[in-house]
Amino acid sequence: MLGSVDSCLLVGLETRRVEVQAHIGRGGDAGFFLVGLAATSVKEARERVRSAIKNSGLEYPRTRLAVNLAPAELRKEGSGLDLPIAVAIALARYGKLPPARSAFIGELSLDGGVRHVDGVLVAVRGLRDLGYERVFVPAEDAAEAALVDGVEVIPCISLIRVVAHLIGEVPIAAASPTRPQTLLEPGSFEHDLAEVHGQEEGKRALEVAAAGGHHLLFSGPPGSGKTMLARCLPGILPPLELDEALEVAQVRSVLGELERERPLDWTRPFRAPHHGVSMAGLIGGGSGLAQPGEISRAHHGVLFLDELAEFQTPVLQALRQPLETGRVRITRSAGSVVYPARFTLVAATNPCPCGWAGDGVRTCRCTPAAVNTYQRRLSGPLLDRIDLQVAVRRLKLETLAGEPHGEASASVRERVVAARGRQMDRQGGLNAQLRPARLRQVAGLAPASRHTLERWAEQRGLTARGFHRAWRVARTVADLEGSDQIQDHHVLEALGFRLSEAAA
Amino acid sequence: MAGTTNGGGVTEPDPPLRSRGRWPPPGGPRVAIVGSRRPSPYGEAVAEQLAMELALAGVVVFSGLALGIDSAAHRGALNAGGVTVAVMGTGVDIVYPAANSRLADDIIAAGGALISQFPDGTMPRRHHFPARNYTMAALSDVVVVVEASEGSGALITAEAALDLHKEVMAVPGSIFSPLSVGTHALIRDGAGLIQNARDVLAALDITREVLDDPLRAPDGLGFALPRERDGILSHLSDVLALSAAEVARKLQLPIPEVLSRLTALELNGAVRRHEGGYVRALRRGKQRA
Repeated sequence: MLGSVDSCLLVGLETRRVEVQAHIGRGGDAGFFLVGLAATSVKEARERVRSAIKNSGLEYPRTRLAVNLAPAELRKEGSGLDLPIAVAIALARYGKLPPARSAFIGELSLDGGVRHVDGVLVAVRGLRDLGYERVFVPAEDAAEAALVDGVEVIPCISLIRVVAHLIGEVPIAAASPTRPQTLLEPGSFEHDLAEVHGQEEGKRALEVAAAGGHHLLFSGPPGSGKTMLARCLPGILPPLELDEALEVAQVRSVLGELERERPLDWTRPFRAPHHGVSMAGLIGGGSGLAQPGEISRAHHGVLFLDELAEFQTPVLQALRQPLETGRVRITRSAGSVVYPARFTLVAATNPCPCGWAGDGVRTCRCTPAAVNTYQRRLSGPLLDRIDLQVAVRRLKLETLAGEPHGEASASVRERVVAARGRQMDRQGGLNAQLRPARLRQVAGLAPASRHTLERWAEQRGLTARGFHRAWRVARTVADLEGSDQIQDHHVLEALGFRLSEAAA
Repeated sequence: MAGTTNGGGVTEPDPPLRSRGRWPPPGGPRVAIVGSRRPSPYGEAVAEQLAMELALAGVVVFSGLALGIDSAAHRGALNAGGVTVAVMGTGVDIVYPAANSRLADDIIAAGGALISQFPDGTMPRRHHFPARNYTMAALSDVVVVVEASEGSGALITAEAALDLHKEVMAVPGSIFSPLSVGTHALIRDGAGLIQNARDVLAALDITREVLDDPLRAPDGLGFALPRERDGILSHLSDVLALSAAEVARKLQLPIPEVLSRLTALELNGAVRRHEGGYVRALRRGKQRA
């Protein structure tokens, strides 16, 4: 007697189809043979499946039982195959065929209950794309699965209920589609620009960064408000679009960090890993198949790296590929996976090792050589990709004592949304992603502004990269003003976003 | 310190000096210009300007080849085509900081010298520098301090000069700047006040003829403010950096406008970046016309 059902495995955010075949022999010794490159976590399924079947009051075969997981070359990991294995055995027992174009995912507990597995959202989206019309998922994960349209979601509470449904005794009602909640109300962010004292330069840089998708560096002494500024960035970015929110949710789903009640979140992620973070923690990694790291958790949001100079150099180096391509490929023993990682980088640093260089009140105790070494750690390929650099200074106490009277995040966000809209209409992407050739096409410079940029480049020995960086930022400044042409003052403002006398 | 005195009242220290370049330098008064390794743009401009004018009057400018004021002083003397001597805290074959190797070469090429009381191959050591400062004071007729915060090495040179009965002079600065603390203390304690190169030349007893010829220009302070019309300039300081945000707040102007106007001024050389903010760039009086 043969039973066969479909399931899937996740390789990163990719879904791979797995066919689970169960064969109950006519004789031979009782035994449970599991074949098809199963890792330890899948081999353990035998114990769970056996107990679950027995404790569900179903008959467990007394003869030789073979379960095959196909394709054999795909390494099977995780507990999500428990349910399909048990269902395949039950179907073999009843001599039934599985429903057409259906797939099963779920872990079993020993009493026959169906338990949560990570990555259901990703799996269901993948299965839909593979042509499946009905997916059986743990009841706990049904809301998450029902975010995916075009597929019927059957919530499973226990093995016995699933079997009853399949043999046509007690049907289970499909879960109703999860409606994405309405958009977040403006002003519901934890950090609002209106609460930040002074720092107009930093706020303006945030606005430009948000509008054009530019990466940003703050330099300033301890306590000058770099972190506060960075935390305000998600609040001036437009809320996530539906497919962006789904991509964010997919990463969380793989990590098992999705909120059950509210699987879709419209707020842009904000991640602030400590400078002690390991390569695997930041970029992604782990044994077997790599798990997403901080950069993928920050996908479509903000990655904040405080004390940039304190991060290990190789860790920072590894940021280059994702910064360039918006995704990251990680290869581990069990294979290579790709995770999305398109984020806005906000970095913060002290101006020198002691932190007080350039402070109005406290004196810096670092030797010029130490300052030099410190700043050199920051330079290079990473800094090359940061379009905006701003010095943040400590405020005088009398400024801090007064009421802050800055603009609220909500009204800044309106300008940001409008500027982003202009970019999308013009070039279908954000200015920060414009390559030089596209830049020449879509971001023409008025003669006066071209002259200014060239004069600056000549005077300061600007590199080609620096030249294009200033050009891109100027385009964003013009977009914020609603101007089709890049005017002279746009270029001048863009050139102001750098830290030193140097060319940038 | 035991030492021998040559005709000019300059004391040679005991250990033989090692040198690269022309040593001893041509006769003429010797002035040491010392100060902070991280000066304000004001201090840097003053050091360069003073060194230039003194060199034009035939003075040999001594300094320590460090970053900041020292470099500015050597550079100023070289700009005037003058002779300048670097008194080093390392062996003469080791230029410290390495960033100044080019400057060291220029000093030798212009007929000046690198000298040191330490044997060749001596690496920079913290405790060598006070001894070097003493040597510099011993070799000079006047020690000029331009910007020195509390505890600065330049103050050690000044103290050594006082011990050796050399004239110590100082350039005043802003009372808001920590870099003025040391120099103002010196002035309070009796150091000569420097407003321009003539003050130094007068202290050297240089005759009027010498004084009048190369230094026709300095009627005023020897510096000119940049001739830009932008009103922002009058709100900037020569010494203390202001951020664009601070300028915007003072003038009640929107930040994008302030940022672009400041960059325009920077492009025209009227302002400079300094410590995360902006300062007025000083132009030499001679370039006024």
